[in-house]
Amino acid sequence: MSIRIERPEPHGGRLIDRVVTDPAAGKKLAKGAAVFDIKPTLDENGVPVRNVYREIMSTCYGFFSPVEGSMKQAEVERILKERRLLNDWVFPYPLVFDVSEEDHKKLGVTPGDRVLLRLKGKPFAILDVEEIYRIDQEELAHKTFGTPEANPEVVKEAFNKKHPGWVIYKSLNPVIYAGKYKIINEPKLRPPFDRFWFPPKKCREEFDKRGWRTVIVHQTRNVPHVGHEHLMKNAAYTGDTEPCHGILVNAVIGVKRKGDYPDEAIVEGHEAVNLYGYIKPERHMVTILLWDMRYGNPLESLLHGIVRQNMGCTHHMFGRDHAAVGEYYDMYATQILWGKGVPSFGFDKPVNEVPYGLKIRPQNMAEFWYCPKCGEIAYSGSCNHKERQKFSGSFIRGMVSEGIFPPGVIFRPEVYKVAVKWWKVYGYPFVTPKYLMEREKELEVDLPDMDI
Amino acid sequence: MPKYIAVLLDDSRLQKLEGSGLEKKIEKMFGGALNAFNLEVSDEHTTKILEEFTTARIDSRGAITDVPIAFNRVVFEEIAKKKSLGPEVMEGVLARMAEIKEAAAKESEYLPAPDIEV
Repeated sequence: MSIRIERPEPHGGRLIDRVVTDPAAGKKLAKGAAVFDIKPTLDENGVPVRNVYREIMSTCYGFFSPVEGSMKQAEVERILKERRLLNDWVFPYPLVFDVSEEDHKKLGVTPGDRVLLRLKGKPFAILDVEEIYRIDQEELAHKTFGTPEANPEVVKEAFNKKHPGWVIYKSLNPVIYAGKYKIINEPKLRPPFDRFWFPPKKCREEFDKRGWRTVIVHQTRNVPHVGHEHLMKNAAYTGDTEPCHGILVNAVIGVKRKGDYPDEAIVEGHEAVNLYGYIKPERHMVTILLWDMRYGNPLESLLHGIVRQNMGCTHHMFGRDHAAVGEYYDMYATQILWGKGVPSFGFDKPVNEVPYGLKIRPQNMAEFWYCPKCGEIAYSGSCNHKERQKFSGSFIRGMVSEGIFPPGVIFRPEVYKVAVKWWKVYGYPFVTPKYLMEREKELEVDLPDMDI
Repeated sequence: MPKYIAVLLDDSRLQKLEGSGLEKKIEKMFGGALNAFNLEVSDEHTTKILEEFTTARIDSRGAITDVPIAFNRVVFEEIAKKKSLGPEVMEGVLARMAEIKEAAAKESEYLPAPDIEV
């Protein structure tokens, strides 16, 4: 038996590709369809919390394979109960196209109709409506993330309006159009995101070019501090007969919570790690995923596993409090899910040991801190000294906000300068409601003109 | 269990502390790359801080973080004024809450970026 680890197949067996690259063919598909302009999902204060265009992009370019569109009611119900699609493949979140009662009335759409979805005033995608149903947003929000009563293995606190993912589901419109999407007018990614755009098919081709058989992925929504860098370097020692060939950074781009870094600083900050030689560019590659983070810790890790398996990665590093905010979940909820399973979410075994589960391998990592005794960044599983200086994100954010140039042991100077570069652009080092509103106007894409 | 606030000390702050006797309480962090005080905060004062600022939270190290910059600035000013790291520092800070909140409101949308070449 070979001990070499090969690139896994896409989740569901094949990569979904629902992008029409020929404009003439795209125009033909859109002819005669009802027209709807995509609107952001807003919270109770009118601040954008999601734009469904990101889900359409990630679906049509295959990041969410085998998902092909907005989910039917039976599929949403199965996901909430067992975290599986109707075709049995594991999937964590309901993904739906929602419209208001008012818009639904205006559109007059019924099952069997086609809707042309416009973005920034231009044709973008079509949705072939197969089913129309209504949701109770608050119930959906609760069931999506779990409750301490129903999911005691990992949920510690009831979700509420302080949780950004819960707010996304709570803020959805009540009418759902279920059906498959197809992008008919291919968007162009805007700088700086364009150079990090590697949809699964292109990403797998890039791995081939680079000769990467084993690739470990680093999920990020942060400008990387030195603790992140050490996590990447050390986790990458896993592999098979040799350390992983590649380290893939996959940054989540979309609406984030107040206090996270701007997306532009995140991608360029990670890029600086390889541009300035802290990890060789031949071994390190920065990419993006368009997604409004749900901050669902174990559930988010499932989505991350699916996306990165689809991109061709063999391993996924997971740390403490993975994709988490607050203390809603156990800080090791993700590692519990991947290490032994969470029966109340439908997994009595690790999610890569269940039928129709994932093939990507988890690399569950504990913590890195600075140990004065060791005189270096130490791994919690190795260092036994008592004095430890942790890379707390909020501590570092505080230091950045106060304008203190961080020492090189915390932030590489080139990475910090990237954060300051975007601070100068937006007048703030972190995400604010103003930033979210400005970004909502521009989004990450531009669309070519297309007359229909 | 009491929580703490890490008060970072750059060169200008260190100058203001000269002769205060507090120098010996400076903690060297990250191998001496960073100087700071760890100011202990009582449970009562911690509760008050968390009530006053919705963003404030206690991180994995037991430190009170994500407070407005104005709050951090006043904490240092009170330390320098009182030449102490005792509970009277936080009492002095909380007594200036109205001033802190006024300054914090201005910083919620704008913070001047450091004047460094990028």
